[in-house]
Amino acid sequence: MRKNFKIFFTLLLAFLVAVPSAWATESASDNQDGESNVDIKEIIFHHLGDGYGWEVPFSHVYRIPLPVIVKAEDGKWFCFSSANLTEVEVIKDEKTGKEKKELIPVIYKTRRDGKEYMFALGPHSSNHKGKVVELFPLQAGEVAKVADIEKQYKTEHPDAHEATLDGFVNFGGNYYREYRTFDISITKNVLALLLASLLVTLMVFSVVRYYNKKGLKAPRKGMGFMEMLIDFVYTGVIKASLGAKKAKKFGPYLLTCFFFILTMNLLGLIVIFPGGANLTGNIAVTLVLALLTFIVTNIRASKHYWKEILWPDVPMFLKFPLPIMQFIEVFGIFTKPAALCVRLFANMMGGHMIVITLVCLIFIFAPIGYAALGGSVVISILFTIFMLLLDVLVSFIQAYVFTMLSTMFIAMSHESGHDHVEDESAEQMAEIVDI
Amino acid sequence: MELFTPDSGLVIWMFVAFVILFIVLWKWGWPVIIKMMESRADTIDKGVEDAKEARRQLDNARAEAEKFMAEARKQQAEILSDAQKMKTQIIDEAKVEASKEAQKVMDAAKVSIQQSQKEAELQLKNEVSKFALDIAEKVMRKEMKSDKAQSELVNKLLDEYENN
Repeated sequence: MRKNFKIFFTLLLAFLVAVPSAWATESASDNQDGESNVDIKEIIFHHLGDGYGWEVPFSHVYRIPLPVIVKAEDGKWFCFSSANLTEVEVIKDEKTGKEKKELIPVIYKTRRDGKEYMFALGPHSSNHKGKVVELFPLQAGEVAKVADIEKQYKTEHPDAHEATLDGFVNFGGNYYREYRTFDISITKNVLALLLASLLVTLMVFSVVRYYNKKGLKAPRKGMGFMEMLIDFVYTGVIKASLGAKKAKKFGPYLLTCFFFILTMNLLGLIVIFPGGANLTGNIAVTLVLALLTFIVTNIRASKHYWKEILWPDVPMFLKFPLPIMQFIEVFGIFTKPAALCVRLFANMMGGHMIVITLVCLIFIFAPIGYAALGGSVVISILFTIFMLLLDVLVSFIQAYVFTMLSTMFIAMSHESGHDHVEDESAEQMAEIVDI
Repeated sequence: MELFTPDSGLVIWMFVAFVILFIVLWKWGWPVIIKMMESRADTIDKGVEDAKEARRQLDNARAEAEKFMAEARKQQAEILSDAQKMKTQIIDEAKVEASKEAQKVMDAAKVSIQQSQKEAELQLKNEVSKFALDIAEKVMRKEMKSDKAQSELVNKLLDEYENN
């Protein structure tokens, strides 16, 4: 068994070295002056960000098309496939004769009620790069204005490739006025979000169905693990700090938070289709979660909680003519969920960023030579595997920390004031976790 | 900076997805699981308690059975020893009775022997006295042939009386 594993590991390592090496040298050889033409920043931000299609492995140009749902400037809703926004172009290298496929953005034109609407992905010159914008041909008055701005821009940045003009974009050589549409497209992140919700629902209802069928019999294997997690969170965190009665009331919210975050975290670590979306590393997702915790914490909070904020138990000079403590406490109401939001976002995004950067190291070192390439492949692959394993741990820890801190905040805001000692210990624990 | 600006579309979808997920799980998911887990924990607790109770009862029953056994053994021993005692007692009693009977028989025999001895003695006495009287009569007849001799004797006897 051990020997087999060793052989397997060696082969895997060899494969890992060979494949990206070949790939990297190929992409490096495109550039004759020995400098890598890979735009690392672009790659990293592309992987961390959202997209209108879902990448598939082993293909640069094919993406799973997703529906784009946008509201145009005149208030009409449009729904079309994201495949309309890009086109595959075959570029032929004149020297080597190799054909290369590239995905280039195009304008999607559609007619409705006799009017033509144009949509496109914001190009480099746009303020909304990569987002769906509505384009309008320049009006008579605007042409001169654009030319003016462009001239001014070119004198300020003489070596700039493309001018960034506020409100106008250069698309395929022509200038258009751009309008950022109200956009509720099913993007990659939204689809991943829906898939994660579905997965959580399935997971929970598999346990529910098991219980309905088998009664009190203890589940085994996967369902046992699910139950262990539920028990760990419910008994270990929620019940321990809220008490049995309040645990029943807030348990469902906190458990949903935990499993949703955990599922999103772990899905983000899977590279291919159902996963790969950097969900919890997206500030919109963590913002909503933190906002919900903020609402649950402060809505119907106890009198004691508001008293602690508006008239805390401190020397008079700290709260009377100048409301210093009140200011700090009120500020604290907002910083607590903000910290929740940023902590989860930064942790998950950081993990993804490190992994992508490590992989990108291969492409950075590729032009130097074969030795540097081989070395960087081995090192970065090993580090990537290590980081991914660490990220699995971080996924659990962050889901746990988010749930625990939410529980603490709820416990603090819903206590009646008699159990003051518990409050302090909860706060202390929250501080420890913050560190 | 696009990473740090929340996208409105994603915020809306996230909110909708989370709220729907929460409502679904809150209505039909978590309460069932929590209730089931708690009732199972209670059942297990109760089972442990029951097992302890059963164990205790079993121990009690065993102790009781042992007590009964010991008592029975004691009784058996008692009965046996009683029987032994009774046996010896019966034997002793029988011996005593037998010896008594023997004594009685012997006594009766002795009495009858003594009686027959007495009777024999009495008979002998009677016979001896009869013989003596006969002899004395015969002697008297021979000596008291003369009156003189008779009166002398009477006198002599009278004297003896008076002296007495």
